[in-house]
Amino acid sequence: MAAQVGPRLTRRALLAVVLLGPPLAACAPAGPTQAQAPDPLIALADAARADATLAAAVIAATPDLAVRVAPLRDARTEHAAALDAEVARQARRSTPPAPPRAATGAATLDALRRSVAAAGESARQAALDSDARRVGLVASVAACCTTYAAQLG
Amino acid sequence: MTQTPTSTIDGQTTQALQATLGAEHAALWCYSLAVAFLVEPQQSQARRDADVHRELRGRIEQTLTQLGQRPVSAQPAYATPQPVTDPASAARLAVVAETDCQTSWRALLEQTSDRGLREAGLKALTDATGRGARWRAVVGATPVVPVFPGKP
Repeated sequence: MAAQVGPRLTRRALLAVVLLGPPLAACAPAGPTQAQAPDPLIALADAARADATLAAAVIAATPDLAVRVAPLRDARTEHAAALDAEVARQARRSTPPAPPRAATGAATLDALRRSVAAAGESARQAALDSDARRVGLVASVAACCTTYAAQLG
Repeated sequence: MTQTPTSTIDGQTTQALQATLGAEHAALWCYSLAVAFLVEPQQSQARRDADVHRELRGRIEQTLTQLGQRPVSAQPAYATPQPVTDPASAARLAVVAETDCQTSWRALLEQTSDRGLREAGLKALTDATGRGARWRAVVGATPVVPVFPGKP
């Protein structure tokens, strides 16, 4: 491939490459290597916690929404626990779970819908590459989140 | 799912595909029974849901055929967990059908790393969760959306 790409590099492009300096990996301090990349389920667990926090804030702001939103808050709390347990099983997490973030922005039903829709898509993407042992859990989280997003739409 | 490369699909995967086909056969049978007892607007919903299962069934059969496998046939009839005698019991049967489909699609995901099948399985699991949630709302099941759809 390099032979095909090489001749296409213009002088300007080569200069740009030179200006960028050596590849980042060569000068970066000993950071996580590919083998120690963070477990992708950590981000999914953190998103579940954030959704549970946001759902609770929505209920606090608009108690009339409790009937619709409380099941979602509970589901996302369970998702976080199950994802944490799976991360712990693989023992690739070096830091304890992030404390729940305070909800940023308005605690509205629309914000919650967008957040849970994004979480569903993240889980769907993660499920494509998950190993056999965890794909079921991640796929269930994706299906649950996407269905809630549709219901709140 | 018909475009998936055959190289990454093994016997385990085709077995899971056959099981999923069996669940789709059963779902179609359940909906054909439920429609006879449901009233509008649920009756039309059941017909639309059955159409989706018919489409899925066709795609699984096509995939299996392309893999050189003979798709399993539907049973002449299925045992329902509870007798279906009225709209409420018919809606409960729809919940059972969708729950069984969710379980088989999730199981398929666990049996394959083929990207095309994973994509198709994730969509099928999510769609079945949405249909199942509608029927769970009809029968008053809570939570309307299962926390872990497809978990056996």
